[in-house]
Amino acid sequence: MATLLKIEDLSKRFSGLAALDKVSFEVREGEIVGLIGPNGAGKTTLFSIIAGSQAPTSGKITYEGRDITGIKSFRAVHAGIARTHQITRPFKSMTVRENVEVGLQFGRRGSVATLGKEAMEILELVGLHGAAATPAVNLSVGDLKRLELARTLAARPRLLLCDEVCSGLTESEMQSILDLLRRIQSLGTTIIYVEHNLRAIVSTCQHVVVLNFGRKLAEGPPARMQNDPAVIEAYIGKKSEA
Amino acid sequence: MSAATQSSSTLQRVLRVASPLLLLAILAALPFFDLGPNRTKVLFLTFLWITTSIAWNILGGFTGQVSFGFAVFYGLGAYATALAMGAGLSPYATYPIAGLVAAVASLLIGLPAFRLRGPYFAIATIGVSEATRVIMTNLPFTGGASGYRIVEQGPFRQTDHYYSALVLAAVALVVSILVRRSRFGLGLRAIRDDQEAASDAGVNPYALKLAAHAVAAALTGAAGGVYARYALFINPEGVFGFQRSVLILLLPVIGGVNTIWGPVIGGSFYGIIEEELAARFPQLHLLLYGVLVILVILFEPGGVMGLLGRLRRLFQRKKAA
Repeated sequence: MATLLKIEDLSKRFSGLAALDKVSFEVREGEIVGLIGPNGAGKTTLFSIIAGSQAPTSGKITYEGRDITGIKSFRAVHAGIARTHQITRPFKSMTVRENVEVGLQFGRRGSVATLGKEAMEILELVGLHGAAATPAVNLSVGDLKRLELARTLAARPRLLLCDEVCSGLTESEMQSILDLLRRIQSLGTTIIYVEHNLRAIVSTCQHVVVLNFGRKLAEGPPARMQNDPAVIEAYIGKKSEA
Repeated sequence: MSAATQSSSTLQRVLRVASPLLLLAILAALPFFDLGPNRTKVLFLTFLWITTSIAWNILGGFTGQVSFGFAVFYGLGAYATALAMGAGLSPYATYPIAGLVAAVASLLIGLPAFRLRGPYFAIATIGVSEATRVIMTNLPFTGGASGYRIVEQGPFRQTDHYYSALVLAAVALVVSILVRRSRFGLGLRAIRDDQEAASDAGVNPYALKLAAHAVAAALTGAAGGVYARYALFINPEGVFGFQRSVLILLLPVIGGVNTIWGPVIGGSFYGIIEEELAARFPQLHLLLYGVLVILVILFEPGGVMGLLGRLRRLFQRKKAA
């Protein structure tokens, strides 16, 4: 499979503190890549830089063979990279459907001919078609996560960045969101998925990148990462010698 | 039951389209009933305040970018019309020029100012507004501080001014409705709700804010132009004054920000209260005005429109019970 995204020596410093330190990895087309690591490992920072919300201190990002380091987030969207937010950020004055229409009308280059129909198709995909006319502020946490996904899908991304879409959800809600991610993958979208929940990662991802203190600790297939001593140490600490 | 609701909603829809047209027809017919110069003047000024309120609301309401600098556009529009008429142009040809000059100025101001957010943007607009006033006070070819006198050929006909202002207010209202319903308006709402999320959904916030600023400035500039031709004399203290910037902001706030009709109500309010009460009680009208603003901020941030919405819900609940 072809390389869709290539991260090289990416660093981000906040006044001396290194949030990311020379992180490199590649994402192949069609994969779901899990990005895991303890709190403060730099997952969300890495995400924000790929999506253009923040500029890196140094390093290079290549997407579809093009250098996209430091582009603005709306340009990243137009190039085909869309993100969701860990803490959902709906447009509060709008209905569910209007939220999706923003993504449809602004997320793509060129105009959308069948706006209403496409909005409903996307809402149906994420399971929100019954709530199209509901004000976004009235949604439950789980539905807000679905709305985040719907809004990014409206931009028809080639690379979807999902930031903890399962946090704060019940077990059954989580399973249905994971099913949704697999469906999105089967429709031809590559996904980078940040998640705390290791079980969610193991059951959905083909490849996992582990971050710790801003550095890449390990990468490989999820089953191997689960048993990697360095990964276990980063998550739950060293085994006592005694 | 459902048939009854449906027919009442059709009736509402017809009323929603018909009542503004009826209002416009009545206002257009008024000069035929010999209002007298004073009442005509009050209505003329009211239309201008409605225009500036609608214009400000496109940036301050729809887009959520609070500007204290709209007197710049009003003043530049006034001077553009004054100078163009001085060069011999028909007054009606000068209004689009006034709008264009203001729109260009809005881009020059917006390019740096929209790098700032929220209160910092608001403070920057105050600075630009004051700087413009000082520059205009010292500019030689506009008469500087002593002002600029306009000489119009032909007799003074108050109804010409009345219709100019009425048409401009109607144009502003139509522009506001079109913006609200368009893709552009959806993008502005997204920026107002959450600028980062808007950008992450593909909206270019910088470009859209500049565009909203330019539309608002063009309408405000045209209002300044219509005013200048009526006033026949303008000076920097009058058209660029900070008090004007504040009023352009406060009227839509009183009427109800981020709505279509709020600025219309706010503009009418001022025009009528200020002009009617100012003559009789030169001090009291300012007090009344201040009290209104405080009441709005304390009890109904949605302004008059918010209050009307509350009353309607109360009425519906009573009917249901």
